[in-house]
Amino acid sequence: MAAYQLVRPVVLSAETVAARSGLHPDLVRRYAALGLVESTTDRSGRLWFPPATVPVLARVQRLRDGLALNYAAIGLVLDLLDRIRVLEAQVRSQQRWT
Amino acid sequence: MATDFYDTLGIARDATADDIQRAYRRLARRYHPDVNSDPGAEDRFKEVSQAYEVLSDPAQRSRYDQFGADFRRVAVDADRPRGTSATQGFQGIDIEDLLSGLFRGRGPIPGADQEAVLELTVEEAYRGGHRRLTLPGTDRQYDVTVPPGVLDGQRIRLAGEGGRGAGDAPAGDLYLVVRIRPHPRYRLSGRDIHLTLPVTPWEAALGSTVPVTTPGGEVKVRVTAGSSSGRRLRLRGEGMPNPRGTAGDLYAEVRVMVPKHLTRRERELFEELAAVSEFTPRRT
Repeated sequence: MAAYQLVRPVVLSAETVAARSGLHPDLVRRYAALGLVESTTDRSGRLWFPPATVPVLARVQRLRDGLALNYAAIGLVLDLLDRIRVLEAQVRSQQRWT
Repeated sequence: MATDFYDTLGIARDATADDIQRAYRRLARRYHPDVNSDPGAEDRFKEVSQAYEVLSDPAQRSRYDQFGADFRRVAVDADRPRGTSATQGFQGIDIEDLLSGLFRGRGPIPGADQEAVLELTVEEAYRGGHRRLTLPGTDRQYDVTVPPGVLDGQRIRLAGEGGRGAGDAPAGDLYLVVRIRPHPRYRLSGRDIHLTLPVTPWEAALGSTVPVTTPGGEVKVRVTAGSSSGRRLRLRGEGMPNPRGTAGDLYAEVRVMVPKHLTRRERELFEELAAVSEFTPRRT
């Protein structure tokens, strides 16, 4: 009989994300409410974050600190930077034939 | 820092407050470490921010105009007659400390990742090896070991060598993106290397073994008798090496070449061949 191992999906609590980012957990929840970082809510109402949230939060802080952007603008910049990353990867793979 | 704040922002010394603000905003957008992953951008961004911090404050600006780079070392009211003792309590405070407290009061912020292009020739990518590289716009130098068989677009990660973190937060990573320079003879397709193999008509017709220079050195290629232009000869495993698996193949495409100018003897022989041969390649 095959044995299956239960794999817990890798998600982080707001407290863990906060500890790794050096932020207050409430600020992490606020960023989630503003849609700046992705999160899922479980049945008890707790928020869970993917591990990639930590670098995104660092980017949010750098954009806020360095360009004095408001949260709406930061959300837009995050989306645009993601799209640029995808497009640059496409351009790179098309140039593969040197 | 020796650079002039006005030069840093690219403005004249009589610039208005609006000019200063406009120049700063434009440069801050261009050099922000999240928008610009160039390793030199972070330092530029800091210089621009520092220049703006000073020039956007009329009091600091006039002190900078007066004293230049030393403006911070001159006590705040050195040029004013000593007043009551109440003002003296402020003299010990460093303006930069005050400002950095205002601007960076949000605790540690991890550094951004940076990207730099590592340009290699096909031969260098084939062999791999050690390389010393200097990042333009910075004074950072790295000794990098390039694995043999890197491909265009591959990234080499130097952990912790990216943008500095604020406070005690960790630095970002530096990624070296491999770019393989176009080569006059070799074309890369994945790990396969393509090249054209020029041969004489008699080598192509009679068959021969010809030397071919490849990124890995010279190899002998057997051209079978009756090879026309366009025939591809595959040399298994002579393409780009693969540190984790099988190497690519090398494809040599036969191209029959004729002399541009014939000697008298060559002409005679070709004319004789033309008279004798019944070969008609255009008949299908």
